[in-house]
Amino acid sequence: MAQRLIAWIDQRFPLTTFIKRELTDYPTPRNLSYWWNFGFLAGFILVIQIISGVFLAMHYKPDVNLAFDSVQHIMREVNYGWLIRYIHSTGASAFFAVIYIHMARTLYYGSYRAPRELMWWSGQVLLILLMASAFMGYLLPWGQMSFWGAQVITSLFGATPLIGDEVVLWLRGDFVVGDATLNRFFALHYLVPFFIVAMVIIHLVALHHVKSSNPSGINLADKDNIPFHPYFTAKDFFGLGVFLIIFCGFVFFAPEFFIEVANNVPADPLQTPPHIVPEWYFLPFYAILRAIPDTLGGVVAMGLSILIFAAMPFLDRSRIPGGARFRPFYRALFYIFLLDVLVLTYAGSQAPGGLVAGVDVVATVIYFAVFLVLPPLSVWEERWLRARGLPPALRDLLDSATEPEAKR
Amino acid sequence: MRSLHAFAGFFLLVTAQAVWGEAVLKDVEINHDPATLRRGAETVTSVCMSCHSLKYLRYRDLLDVGFSRAEVEAMSMGNKMGDPLLAMTPADIAQQSYGRVPPDLSLMAKARTGGAAYIYSLLTGYYQDAAGQVDNHVFPGTAMPDMLGWSSADTQQRIEIETQSREAAAFLQWAADPRAAERKGLGYYVVGYLIVLTVLLYLVKRRVWARLH
Amino acid sequence: MAEKDRVDETRRDFLLTTTGVVGAAGVAAACWPFISSMNPSLAVQGQANTEVDLSTVAPGVMTTVAWRGKPVFIVHRTPEEIAAMAATEGGKDPATDQSRVQEAQWLVVIGLCTHLGCVPNKTKAGWLCPCHGSVYDNSGRVLHGPAPRNLDVPPYHFVTQDKILIG
Repeated sequence: MAQRLIAWIDQRFPLTTFIKRELTDYPTPRNLSYWWNFGFLAGFILVIQIISGVFLAMHYKPDVNLAFDSVQHIMREVNYGWLIRYIHSTGASAFFAVIYIHMARTLYYGSYRAPRELMWWSGQVLLILLMASAFMGYLLPWGQMSFWGAQVITSLFGATPLIGDEVVLWLRGDFVVGDATLNRFFALHYLVPFFIVAMVIIHLVALHHVKSSNPSGINLADKDNIPFHPYFTAKDFFGLGVFLIIFCGFVFFAPEFFIEVANNVPADPLQTPPHIVPEWYFLPFYAILRAIPDTLGGVVAMGLSILIFAAMPFLDRSRIPGGARFRPFYRALFYIFLLDVLVLTYAGSQAPGGLVAGVDVVATVIYFAVFLVLPPLSVWEERWLRARGLPPALRDLLDSATEPEAKR
Repeated sequence: MRSLHAFAGFFLLVTAQAVWGEAVLKDVEINHDPATLRRGAETVTSVCMSCHSLKYLRYRDLLDVGFSRAEVEAMSMGNKMGDPLLAMTPADIAQQSYGRVPPDLSLMAKARTGGAAYIYSLLTGYYQDAAGQVDNHVFPGTAMPDMLGWSSADTQQRIEIETQSREAAAFLQWAADPRAAERKGLGYYVVGYLIVLTVLLYLVKRRVWARLH
Repeated sequence: MAEKDRVDETRRDFLLTTTGVVGAAGVAAACWPFISSMNPSLAVQGQANTEVDLSTVAPGVMTTVAWRGKPVFIVHRTPEEIAAMAATEGGKDPATDQSRVQEAQWLVVIGLCTHLGCVPNKTKAGWLCPCHGSVYDNSGRVLHGPAPRNLDVPPYHFVTQDKILIG
């Protein structure tokens, strides 16, 4: 019966062939490490966020007079409302943590290079959509941090030349962040995930066209590819188990870890909390914004600090495969960048002024310097590596990869 | 800093020492046994609620801290079981006396760095300055009077006030997160289950990949 | 060698089945909080009781109160009405008047037509549903029309002589 049904569908829709080609038999490099689990995890969190978000929306009220109360209603009176809300609030942080690791892996192993530029750029769009969704979602609980965060970030658009004030007014639909703002943020917070899903599909179509990169950075011969199922389904599910243990540890035992104390105070447009900070995942960019004394300059620098990743395929001029693994200088640059981002995260979390301001400026300069240094460094590094003789491991890999072509 | 504290709280259970502005909060052990919560609820409903509301709690919620239905009905003074805990002084009169409406206390233990330790330190942070004016170490210039009489108490009385403050802080911490016990109880099962499942998934993964070698 | 392979094969099947069952049980359990969240919240359950003061309802007068959001008709029946109702067993869904009241002068029924849930209008002789014309008598018993059952009687009890608690 089931077979007849599948046969009936297969005549009309390529179900079996699709699953076979894109899932079970999908060729995957056998040498993928656990760093390649994070794409799957990001997809999983997206699903979790959409489900928990839909259920929260059934109880949430996007009205300045009701929003804060409705969140408390969810926390105290809705059956398992506390669980659904904590899943959603922890999920936001988990999403960024996983995406940042996913990006770091891409950078370390050079997975952004040809022919995967479109994957990198679609990922870039996903990051921006994710940030937009997180930012708008953060307003919804209508706490002090929600309000002042939205107030500050919408004010940034006031730096737009000539029409700044009009743009800010238009964004808020009010003279300050108000009922109109809350309502539209709720509508958009519900909308953006649809764009994210669409973009994820594009991301995956591109992936299945160019196939996964791998730690060696070399396109492997067919013998080194193994079917996705059962090897990577098993590996992804094990990774998911580990992720869920950590995730549920936070949800059940430290759910307020990611929630600022000031956000447990209802929004008060007449009083700013003594120390306002964005969520941890925005801190590096926030630090860059603050490092530049000029508002417009700060906004441009912050925007650039996110968009500049898109230039990576052009900035990295080296033809040595394998990402950071075989490239000592690129590797050093990677770690400097990673450290710099951590310093910026710290600087962004501190009250402005004093020693932190200096650290902030230096770290911002280093942030952009890394990208500027990359083109000449990568060219020089390639020359240096070739002159020095490529390491044997790399030579072997290069030989085995070029072998089939030589035979042809 | 906040995350460091939260992290410490994660491992060391309840509140150690925290910083609010310049003032250092007192190091205090908060108990959450039913008797403490019950006495804390009595202090909060009889003393704090003369000016402060706990509007996200309803009278029936007090059943969860061990009061009987008859006791709650007596405390509710004519309010229904489903009614929120509102302040005895109307908001406009409090506004006149203190210059602002006293904040709602339902979430106070989550709305200040230090949580219960902040509340305890505030209640036992009153002092009389040289001019005889009463002020607070934790919240200088606060409009809230020294309700428990800490600033004028002798050593013997202070021991009592310390206990009372600790109990009130414990109750307010419960009030801010009444589902904490349920959440942690469920959490042990969920995480326990996930560990078992993950071990199984690891074994499956190892078996599957063994075919390759 | 072949023997050993077969043993491994069975063990893996056992392992796979166990993991699959444990995983599926977890997914099923994880669905529960979400399904449960759509049930009435504590706030809704909390308003499950409605107290009604009957002292203000004069004989021959009907008052409507909300109980769990539904209208409840409370009729202070006159002796004539009580006598008329006690004499019949209604129509389609026969029931004695006695079985439908606790105190003969107080009729308490849920004011939703048992056909499709419209609120019937009071008439001299009982009720008439405006949607599809079901007719009820002064005991809330359906006489004719599409309604299958008499008007439902909610759970209630007399707290004092002239005060009832519905729910």
